[in-house]
Amino acid sequence: MSSRAQVVGALFRKELRSFLGNPTGYVFLTLFIVASASAAFLTDTFFSRNLADLATLNQWMPAILMFFVPAVTMGLWADERRSGTDELLLTLPVRDGEVVLGKFLGALGVYTVGLVFSLANVAMLAYLGDPDTGLMFATYLGYWLMGALFVAVGMVGSMFTGNTTVAFILGALGCAGLVVAGMAPWASALVGLVVLAALGALKVSILFGRGAAIGALVGALVGVGLWLGGVPWFVDIFAALSAPAHFASFGEGLLRVGDILYFVGGTAVALYLCTILISRRHW
Amino acid sequence: MTTQDSNRGSVTIRAENLSKIYGDFAALHSVSFEVRRGTVAAFLGPNGAGKSTTMKILTGYLAPTTGRAEVLGFDPSDPEQRIEMSRRLGYLPENGPLYVDMTPRETLEFVAQIRGIGAGTRSAVERVVAQCAIEQVMSKPIAKLSKGYRQRVGMAQALLHDPEVLILDEPTSGLDPLQIREVRQLIRELGRSKTILLSTHILSEVEAVASEVIVVGEGRLAFAGTLEQLRAGGTVEERFYALMDRKKQEAA
Repeated sequence: MSSRAQVVGALFRKELRSFLGNPTGYVFLTLFIVASASAAFLTDTFFSRNLADLATLNQWMPAILMFFVPAVTMGLWADERRSGTDELLLTLPVRDGEVVLGKFLGALGVYTVGLVFSLANVAMLAYLGDPDTGLMFATYLGYWLMGALFVAVGMVGSMFTGNTTVAFILGALGCAGLVVAGMAPWASALVGLVVLAALGALKVSILFGRGAAIGALVGALVGVGLWLGGVPWFVDIFAALSAPAHFASFGEGLLRVGDILYFVGGTAVALYLCTILISRRHW
Repeated sequence: MTTQDSNRGSVTIRAENLSKIYGDFAALHSVSFEVRRGTVAAFLGPNGAGKSTTMKILTGYLAPTTGRAEVLGFDPSDPEQRIEMSRRLGYLPENGPLYVDMTPRETLEFVAQIRGIGAGTRSAVERVVAQCAIEQVMSKPIAKLSKGYRQRVGMAQALLHDPEVLILDEPTSGLDPLQIREVRQLIRELGRSKTILLSTHILSEVEAVASEVIVVGEGRLAFAGTLEQLRAGGTVEERFYALMDRKKQEAA
């Protein structure tokens, strides 16, 4: 194992052990399993449709992950900042990107554990009927990829603060943006305004070391101008960020390259943003 | 010539006109000093003088706004050089931050994994456990340890890879008198083979462990030289207060 993989591996194991060695972690996992099972079976539509699939859960999964995943990621960096261990960690022979990757994989590991336990839903389907193996595989791959994206977005939220509650709220808002982006034109435009405001704040902070609020205001004003100016692609671009829309094909048993690229690419962009945010201590 | 004398010579830590500015506040104003190999140097100054900011810059946690730092010939603000530097540097940050849900053993094993110590981990852990006298608490969660034991675990992680250089930010902060005596004794022992820069605001600590002294006040360098040079013309206490009064006047 190369020394770089050792660093990522050590962080991965530490995060996994930290979450699974804590009773709170099991409470979150239990809530996730109960919520997913309730969404899958405790609805009228599941039995009235008389099909052995997870279509009802697919509708609810983005909303469940919107709350569950930020609960996993909220402490990833906020706890480090609050306790000062970020200074200990970042003065060891580690690169910022390795820290981000190790922590991401640790949180993704926790989510994967939750997802594995939720396979009880598939067992229930097999008991009630005859679910299609390919459909189940595609559906769970979709859950996993969507969870990976939400973990990365939740991690971005954790980078901004030393308070885990604030980190949870920021992470949930970020994930909520991806969930509501495609629901209606106004929702897409609202997400667009927030994204442009965040980019404006980040750009001004990098260039001048301060003035994030002014950068956010300029970004938001640009967004308002594009939206009210009737620029057609403005709403379309942000509607295309919709996680449920990209997940839909997985729920139908299809593996579309574009949808896979959306989740993988979105995860990579969020992780890159985390690396930038860790390095902002130098600004 | 003693072993310690023969080790001395080349500059191990160098700060050249280091400044750090946060918005309208300058935490450091053009601070320059050098620490030679095989020296125990005390970085002395009141709270808020810029000691921790300087140490964060020297270890690569922060980048200076202007100026340049150098440790063992590496530039800590260069990401790749910082990696190489940190393989040969041990650092105890201010207040000894540690993962409180881990035990000292888990902490040391985690740091050993990050540092890639590999097969030598067991002997390295045994060495630092003996050096820092933490055998009794190795299996207790750090959250349940006293401040003194936490500080010793922090020292142990800094020593795990047997570094050439140690940077210790207020290593005796929060310790009781007996613990302070033990940590100072440890620093004196380590100073025989390593270059050590430690920050403190305790005047007696300087005389207890250091041969060279750097004094900062109001983010500015007030003095850099040997302990004997600082003592010339008065006690360390008298000289320190005189230097601080002068820096306050300059800042005003």
